[in-house]
Amino acid sequence: MRERTTLILAGVVLLLAVLAWNQGGWEMAGEGLLGGFRTLVRMSPLLVAAFLIAGLIQLFLTQENVSRWLGAESGWRGIFLACASGSLVPGGPFIYYPIAATLFRAGASLGVVVAFVSAKNLWPLVRLPIEFALLGPRLTLIRLAVTLLVPPLLGFLAQGLLGHQSDTIRKSLEP
Amino acid sequence: MNLATLTMIVLAAGLWSYAWWRRDGSHWRGLLRGWSTLKSTFPLLGLAFIIVGYATVLVPETGLQGWIGSGSGWSGLILALGMGTFIPGGPYVALPLIGTLNDLGIGLGATIALVNGWAGLSLLHAAWELRYLGWRFTAIRWTLTLVFLLLIGSLAQAIFEGVS
Repeated sequence: MRERTTLILAGVVLLLAVLAWNQGGWEMAGEGLLGGFRTLVRMSPLLVAAFLIAGLIQLFLTQENVSRWLGAESGWRGIFLACASGSLVPGGPFIYYPIAATLFRAGASLGVVVAFVSAKNLWPLVRLPIEFALLGPRLTLIRLAVTLLVPPLLGFLAQGLLGHQSDTIRKSLEP
Repeated sequence: MNLATLTMIVLAAGLWSYAWWRRDGSHWRGLLRGWSTLKSTFPLLGLAFIIVGYATVLVPETGLQGWIGSGSGWSGLILALGMGTFIPGGPYVALPLIGTLNDLGIGLGATIALVNGWAGLSLLHAAWELRYLGWRFTAIRWTLTLVFLLLIGSLAQAIFEGVS
């Protein structure tokens, strides 16, 4: 997966280099390349610290711990716990979607699972240091501030409006 | 050294000291895990930053600002959120690109809509969501999230635009 992404990005770089060369000759093609390298070098200390923080957080949190904290909770307590667990659970979509399906099958309500997936997508603790490093503290803090209530609100809204669908969805999930 | 770098170094040192204090070898395992992630994502990061360099010299500022900038209103927010859902790759690829678009002056509301679109409604992740949670769940979560993220983008624009 990562090799394929690298190849696609390399293709995009080549395309952009040709585009820049076409627009402004070798000078513009070189300017883009050098600009990229300069940004990378400037951000290196920040990136090293961000990756160290992400590595240590992943070590302290395991998927088993997070699943155990959440269990088959429901109601408002379950929704808040789901938000906390979603934010803490490490790993990509191939890890947290199976966990969400397991929670659903274990008896968690629609609101709990919506809150879990939304918190993982919008407030993942492991991604925060990288976001802080790459987007800057101001943007990261503002984004967190304005999305702070989104996962619990989505959980409550999903439960309030469509909570009666929980059993139908649960039955449709493959074991 | 800027404040962000200093904060991150202090935080990393604090976490590493806690890991060392546990005396279970987690200080070394944490270092190794961080290093191995950095090493394996370095080619991606390098390419993403070169794309950022080209985007800076190629993307016409005024055009982009007109489409999704702070003066573009609801249509700009919807477009930014839509663009976010199409951004492929993990944070190492998506965030430098979004950061560059922000530096080019697209405005805070559009930048936040891009991050939220990429993080909350990624089309690449939809395949996993459909596979594991089914179409009913996916449709419910996507509809509710879309409405909320649009409201959030406009809220961010209204409250924080101009705050520096």
